[in-house]
Amino acid sequence: MRFRLMLAAAAAAALSAALPVAAQTTLNVITAGDQNMVEYITNYLGPKFEAMNPGVKVRATGTGPGDSGSQKIYEKLSAQQKAGSATWDTDVAVVHQRGAATMVGEKLLMPYRNDVAAGKLVSRDTAKNALGANVDGYVLPMFHSQIAFAYNPDLVKAPPKSYAELTEWVKKNPKQFGYNGVKGGMSGVGFVMGWVSANSGLGDKLEKGPYAAGDKATIEKSLAGLKDFNQNVVMTPGNAGTLDMLNRGEIAMGPVWVDMFYTWQADGKMSPKIKLSLPQPGLPGQPMYYVIPAKAANAALAKKFIDLAESPEVQADGIVKQFNWYPGIDPQYVQAKLTPAAWSKLFTDISPADLAQYGKPFPLSEYFTDIVEWYERVVLK
Amino acid sequence: MTGLALIAPALAIVVAFFIIPLGISFALAFRAKDGVFTLAHFEKSFELYTTDLVFTLEIVLLSSALIAIVAVAIAGYLTLGENPRAVSVLRWLYRWPLFIPFVVTGQVMRTFLAKNGMLNHVLIGSGLIEPISAQSMLDWRGIVIAFVWKQAPFVTLLVAGAMASLDRQHIEAARNLGAPRWRVLWDIVLPQVRGTVLVGVVLSFVTMLSVLSVPLMINPNSPTLITVDVAYRINTHADYAVANALCLLSLLVAAGGAAFYLRHAVKGAEAAS
Amino acid sequence: MTAATAPLRAPARWPRTLLIAALLALLAFAIFGPLANLLLWAFAEKWYFPSKLPSEFGFAFWRRVFNPRGDALASLGTSIWIAVLTVIVSLAVAIPAGYALARLKLPFRGAILLLFLLPQAVPNMPIYVNIARVFYEIGLNGTVIGVVLVHAAHGLVLAVWIASAAFAAVDASLDEAARNLGASPWTCFRTVTLPLAAPGLMASAIFVFLESLDEFTGTYFVGVPDVTTLPLLMFNASQGGNYQIASITALLLLVPSIGFMLIVERFLKADVLAMVGR
Repeated sequence: MRFRLMLAAAAAAALSAALPVAAQTTLNVITAGDQNMVEYITNYLGPKFEAMNPGVKVRATGTGPGDSGSQKIYEKLSAQQKAGSATWDTDVAVVHQRGAATMVGEKLLMPYRNDVAAGKLVSRDTAKNALGANVDGYVLPMFHSQIAFAYNPDLVKAPPKSYAELTEWVKKNPKQFGYNGVKGGMSGVGFVMGWVSANSGLGDKLEKGPYAAGDKATIEKSLAGLKDFNQNVVMTPGNAGTLDMLNRGEIAMGPVWVDMFYTWQADGKMSPKIKLSLPQPGLPGQPMYYVIPAKAANAALAKKFIDLAESPEVQADGIVKQFNWYPGIDPQYVQAKLTPAAWSKLFTDISPADLAQYGKPFPLSEYFTDIVEWYERVVLK
Repeated sequence: MTGLALIAPALAIVVAFFIIPLGISFALAFRAKDGVFTLAHFEKSFELYTTDLVFTLEIVLLSSALIAIVAVAIAGYLTLGENPRAVSVLRWLYRWPLFIPFVVTGQVMRTFLAKNGMLNHVLIGSGLIEPISAQSMLDWRGIVIAFVWKQAPFVTLLVAGAMASLDRQHIEAARNLGAPRWRVLWDIVLPQVRGTVLVGVVLSFVTMLSVLSVPLMINPNSPTLITVDVAYRINTHADYAVANALCLLSLLVAAGGAAFYLRHAVKGAEAAS
Repeated sequence: MTAATAPLRAPARWPRTLLIAALLALLAFAIFGPLANLLLWAFAEKWYFPSKLPSEFGFAFWRRVFNPRGDALASLGTSIWIAVLTVIVSLAVAIPAGYALARLKLPFRGAILLLFLLPQAVPNMPIYVNIARVFYEIGLNGTVIGVVLVHAAHGLVLAVWIASAAFAAVDASLDEAARNLGASPWTCFRTVTLPLAAPGLMASAIFVFLESLDEFTGTYFVGVPDVTTLPLLMFNASQGGNYQIASITALLLLVPSIGFMLIVERFLKADVLAMVGR
């Protein structure tokens, strides 16, 4: 009897697996990043878009935070490319810079910027250049984020203004600063990049190039100091790990992503009195990009979707007001749609001048790889 | 012949959906970008990750040993315990971690074992330690604790079952002769369930080698488990070659455990019936 | 009872009972302490230093998870459905395999048992990438069956090892008796061996079910975007430090797991567990 039950269940399973999906166009959006990105699309962008386009359903899936999330999206597109599928199962993807650079390099994306009205609203370099790779036309920034030091003003009376000051500070306050090394999150990687930028004398060359393999020796030397620095700090498990330890008061200061930081405050996981600051010569920041896979099934709808997402109204209401993130399109279009109070909330701790001066892009990918590899060789040994 | 036919479907699933992709991975571990055979990826793996390979082996061995001890202790009490209420409470209590997935284990341990986490709060609150000496256990200790917490109930289940199916005669006889219970456990019960304990430990050993979520959440910084390095090579460097090489090395470590199992736990074909 | 005959054990029993109680309490703390954290985060709306406990409790995050537009419930349903199918597929192939391993003389028995262990032995991300590629080629990607096959490959070690143990624990002489009475091998299997082994098979069903609910890497590569499961959401939330959502989804996943356990509680027989993997 049990056997017959099992047979019946197996038959039902086979049937259900073969059932066709309901006849309605579904726009598949896959986004790297935190859960709130998925919710943003599901609860905010999705309904707006569906209202404008009856008969269309927006379906959002998340792949997880950090570059691993973008890597997962790359792997799916790459697998479909290698399998020779006629259309791919993703219409819009939201990825980080490294992911986008790789995808453009392997011809996994479709150029769309010129087909989208909002494409004219972005003039920042990040729309054309992702870590040295030319991505012009293939991407539009959804928002810009920045790494900054988050610190507890009760314990840190005067946040260090430079890496040298920071080194002195950690000697006097051991185990009060924490970052995640190079594994587990880009906030730690960004900190290491900033350290190298400050201590190697290579300065802007790291970001602007041209890349010179001979610089490896200089990078190696600057990392030697980081090894000593690490003796006085706490290594955290990742982006969320640093924020976690700040949440529990185990560290007083650490590098964090500004967008994650504000999200944690909104979710009640970070004390409202924690502040942000940027040291000289700066810390990296990067945007997340909207991209369209080369063989997306619903390319036209995808372009309309991105157009909506990059419109000044949505950027003002969604990105700035809801999340407190720096907008993806040029700030003047967004500022016009917000009250002065709402706009200045973005710059509570870090002024626009500071941001312009100390907010830097990540180094070129060859330098990036060199720095990260030498970190493993020098600092981790 | 019938035997192989009966096994064929199960083998087919494992071979098709895991062994063959695994083989592809291993082949890629030996391939340079231009398709030439190379050992460069293995050289790089050893250059950068020898510490982590040794660390992985140490952690997994230590966790396996602790799991065996905890499982035998709990199962032993369930079999030899004389307080019926304690036995039934214990039987209900120890199974809970079975239902918690590894990823949740990693997360709850992170907040439990942190410097200002619940464990330290309780220790400080009950006056057992000073606030100043509160330690964060989010290093190798946290990883071991998470593994033992999650895997010990499974092995306990197996071992308790094995002990319960033993002939009580020997146990009763020994107790009647006045032997203390730990003696009965060590001399009479344990030798008979040795095989099951080994099976449970080997299963745990092998599983712990493949878990990513626990070390990622508790301590991904060097030294850490190899799974974290595999994920790191893929996500930060898109370096599938070294990732595959590390997988192969991890498999060799697992093979060590498997050889142990083959020698000590599997009954020969003649003894099977 | 006079004072002289009052049980001599009584004074000696108290310290022992206290010790046992203390040890049990310690174990309970070790097990439920971390789980208490889970519960706290599931209902915490504000929790940061220096509060030792959440400063504000609420259901805000439950509303977020169960948002009508979101598909937490649909994901949960899919996860359970996939787990059930995985159990069915695993048992369907593990029963014949277990019987063969337990009763028939097979060459390389140990090696075969070991082969099933492999999917649990290796960090599996790079492997699943390869599987995804093949699945896209044959069109299995995005289907429930594809995900089920991947889960089954991963969980078969438990199904096959425990099924083999279950059959080994059935007394072979019962088979002989049935055959002597004239039953065909198939009838003998159906009416004698299988029912006796059933409790052990139920146990293996539980473990396969739990494994399937714990799996998210393979599900992502083979299932997304058409097939989304709750463990995927849980992993992403966990990694991002979104403890509230991760805890809530963990609690949600606990329900089917414990439900299954209560069912299996009745079926787990000691002598079956004794033979696992042998």
